[in-house]
Amino acid sequence: MQASDFERQGFAAGVREGFVAFLPVSVGLIPWALVVGMAMTSAGFTPIEAMGMNIIVFAGTAQLGTLPLIVDHAPLWLILATGLALNLRFLIFSAGIAPGFRGIGTGWRWLCGHFLTDGSFAVCYDKLMQVDDPRWRLGFYLITGVWSWLLWQTFTLAGIFAAGVIPKSWSLEFMATIALIVLLVPMAKSRPMLVAALVGGGSAVLLRGMPLRLGVVTAIVIGIAAGFAAEHWQEKKAA
Amino acid sequence: MNDDISLWLIFIVLGLATTLPRASFIVLGNRFNLPPTLQRALRYAPAAALAAIVVPDVLLVGGSVEPINPKLAAAIAAILVAIRWRNPWLPFIVGMAVLLGLKALLPG
Repeated sequence: MQASDFERQGFAAGVREGFVAFLPVSVGLIPWALVVGMAMTSAGFTPIEAMGMNIIVFAGTAQLGTLPLIVDHAPLWLILATGLALNLRFLIFSAGIAPGFRGIGTGWRWLCGHFLTDGSFAVCYDKLMQVDDPRWRLGFYLITGVWSWLLWQTFTLAGIFAAGVIPKSWSLEFMATIALIVLLVPMAKSRPMLVAALVGGGSAVLLRGMPLRLGVVTAIVIGIAAGFAAEHWQEKKAA
Repeated sequence: MNDDISLWLIFIVLGLATTLPRASFIVLGNRFNLPPTLQRALRYAPAAALAAIVVPDVLLVGGSVEPINPKLAAAIAAILVAIRWRNPWLPFIVGMAVLLGLKALLPG
């Protein structure tokens, strides 16, 4: 029997319900974590460096996306700019989910912010808006973050050691490219998103000659502008 | 040695570039909001950024455009599989099979 929102009270009850809701979603993290672990090892990181990056950064997309730049000894500002671009969605998630933390202290909010992932956002958003009790909301949200963190660290570690025993000729680094494709495909379901991706990708190829890898950042900005323009054009046509 | 230190510096900078956007509005509460137009435009940032990394990676061989190469074929296979099936492992299996299969068939 489903509890009504009125009955949803207490931290422990929140943790229980959060875990049940999040468990099926969290399975999707496993291949992704394995791939990131293997990709970091293929990039030449020692296990300590790879786990250091994994714990400090804790963001698969930003880790995978910046790896080629790190390997190429790209300048720090470019690595930072690329990481920020890949993390911009979190700014939007953070703004969206922020009202769900009403009545929760600043310290907890920092911890919750650190744990904000695509999966936690997707699973928690509605519940955090609806349920009244702050302790229940904190429990519900935190278990999704803590569980993601544990799964992520465990399976990345597994990936790091798996990569060490697999021969180089298996081109495992290409798994990272496939992982980025797997993230990109569902994003590009709407027409403007597809335009943003095609224009961003095409521009990156055309602008590859720009010094200091500036082409990547420029291509991202052009892609964003193209997606936004396509959205406006689509709305105009629909109106 | 210098290289190792800069690697950890990169991790810390990237860590900040992850946690600060994530915590931003959750910590600030409702006191401050991004302009709606900017919020809408920023929704396109992840797709544009991912494509800007993936497309050159699969389309370029040694710095020049190579429309027929194993990586591109494998990428297209992975895209088709990801569109058609929801299984999270399948794009990896099919993509890697196409890449390794073509590399084995084509000399060099």
